[in-house]
Amino acid sequence: MGDFLNVFIKTAFVENMILSYFLGMCSFLAVSKSVKTALGLGIAVIFVLGITMPINWLINEYLLKETGFFGLDLTFLRFILFIAVIAALVQLVELVVEKFSPSLYNALGIFLPLITVNCAILGGSLFMISRELTLSKSVAFGLGGGFGWFLAIVALAAIREKIQYSNVPPALRGLGMAFILTGLMGMAFMSLMGIDPAAFTK
Amino acid sequence: MKNSLLSFFLKIEPDKKKSPFLHTLYDGFFTFAFAPNHVTKGGVHVRDGMDLKRLMFHVVIALQLCYLFGTYNIGQQHFSALGMYEGFLEGFHLKIFYGLVQILPLFVVANLVGLGIEFFYAYKKGHGIEEGFLVSGALIPLIMPPALPLWILAISVAFAVIVGKEAFGGTGMNVLNIALLCRVFIFFAYPTTISGDDVWVAGLEKVDGVWTASYNFVVTGVLNPVFESFGWATYQNGMAVVDGYSGATPLSLAAKGGWEAVTARFTPEQMFWGNIPGSVGETHKLFVLMGAGLLLYLGIASWRIMISMVFGLIVTGILVNMWDATPAMNVPWYYHFSMGSFLFAMAFMATDPVTAAATDRGKLFYGFFIGSVGLIIRVLNPAYPEGWMLSILFMNVFAPLIDHFVVEGHISKRKSRLTKLANS
Repeated sequence: MGDFLNVFIKTAFVENMILSYFLGMCSFLAVSKSVKTALGLGIAVIFVLGITMPINWLINEYLLKETGFFGLDLTFLRFILFIAVIAALVQLVELVVEKFSPSLYNALGIFLPLITVNCAILGGSLFMISRELTLSKSVAFGLGGGFGWFLAIVALAAIREKIQYSNVPPALRGLGMAFILTGLMGMAFMSLMGIDPAAFTK
Repeated sequence: MKNSLLSFFLKIEPDKKKSPFLHTLYDGFFTFAFAPNHVTKGGVHVRDGMDLKRLMFHVVIALQLCYLFGTYNIGQQHFSALGMYEGFLEGFHLKIFYGLVQILPLFVVANLVGLGIEFFYAYKKGHGIEEGFLVSGALIPLIMPPALPLWILAISVAFAVIVGKEAFGGTGMNVLNIALLCRVFIFFAYPTTISGDDVWVAGLEKVDGVWTASYNFVVTGVLNPVFESFGWATYQNGMAVVDGYSGATPLSLAAKGGWEAVTARFTPEQMFWGNIPGSVGETHKLFVLMGAGLLLYLGIASWRIMISMVFGLIVTGILVNMWDATPAMNVPWYYHFSMGSFLFAMAFMATDPVTAAATDRGKLFYGFFIGSVGLIIRVLNPAYPEGWMLSILFMNVFAPLIDHFVVEGHISKRKSRLTKLANS
């Protein structure tokens, strides 16, 4: 449990997917115009990350590794299989969102299916491999990474809603401001960088 | 007297069309000295002289005691490192003038750069000068280490004003606190000038491995002859510091050795009365509290933010005390108030009305999380000794989100009330 929490906090706040690795920027910048759609996309990302990570972990451990089911080193198939899993799950999310919230579905538009190629999600799975996480830790990593992404996009959306009324120089309106804000938010998130939750166990 | 002054000012008003730049300059200084000459037309009538500029000026007044003691304390820390003039009044003129030599350039550079950029943008955009920089310009020297190189200060002020404020559309539109943005820029771009044990005492230089006093030409060339002519004590170049002296602040001591290490060097009273190394303006806790009191009395600062911030610190402090896993965690929670800059951040930084949450309930959350996150950074983060700068910036980012949810909550509450009324 302690490990689970450590990894969750670390990925959500300390090593935020967007603000310290700059992963998943395209949808982060494009869908952050209003808090409502940002909330929807953020929850979708939490869901997809939280589920793909353990599934990919299982695939990697029991199918692709040499010690796995086939007895062959199939790790070169990682990318293609991970993407396939992510795409399948995104389809699922899309179906659910379309059924239960058509307005959100319309607001998200192309960016919902584009979660498939959201770098944060594939990046999460690859981090999991390179850091050799266990199954429970990879669940925590997925949920934490998704939660950090969710927090960042919702905060950016709220700020962008607020600065709609500001007299921003014309050249910076829209995306320009979003880039500057992302940088400034990254500075603010540096506050938690360097905290190692594992160092405080007695 | 006053009327003749006013008529003089009115007479020299430059023509707006012929020389717009001069007129912008003039307008800025005129409205600074007198109430602006504008009459509101249409629906809203403001019948109060308390405009933005007056409001900001009250904050500057509230900061004056911090300036006074900060100036003194620069000298006090310098001489206590040399082991001279330990008493409050001993060598008073030396301490005050040494402090002035350090703090005046900081103040002048910060304001020249900041106001210069502000004037330039006002002229370019063709609106009056907004003076948003008055408070930031007064705050910035107070949150810097006394011996900060001036070119670093100039760069950071330019960064904060251009990226943090003008890009957002000027005064009142910024999302992050300008003074803190300026400090955080230095903190990440030039970390050795603003953190560590060697930067908090001015005027010491390492010569052959020994820290010695070194004065610039203003001190040796101007002040020394003047003091000599009065027969007072003078500054002496090349004095070595006391054996075993370290300029460590209470916070860095606490991070390494916990509360025992702090009390071995400083007493709690000493920390309260401000005789400790630190940023210029934050050391004297009573003067900071008096400034906070003035702001509360005038209704400029929000008591909700202050109270909830204290509450956040107390709750997190008690939790951390109970956890007690590292040395830094054993500092009693009530001493966190007198260490470092909590009170200064609470009084002048967190309550900035532009970057704080705007709704009443939002302010409570905002303050609480600042208190809590700041203490977490201070105690748990080995990379940074102090947390309030970063925690306030962190919550600045989330303030619009808090407001959004508070407002949404109100809307849905009223909707349900309405439907209940309609159904009954």
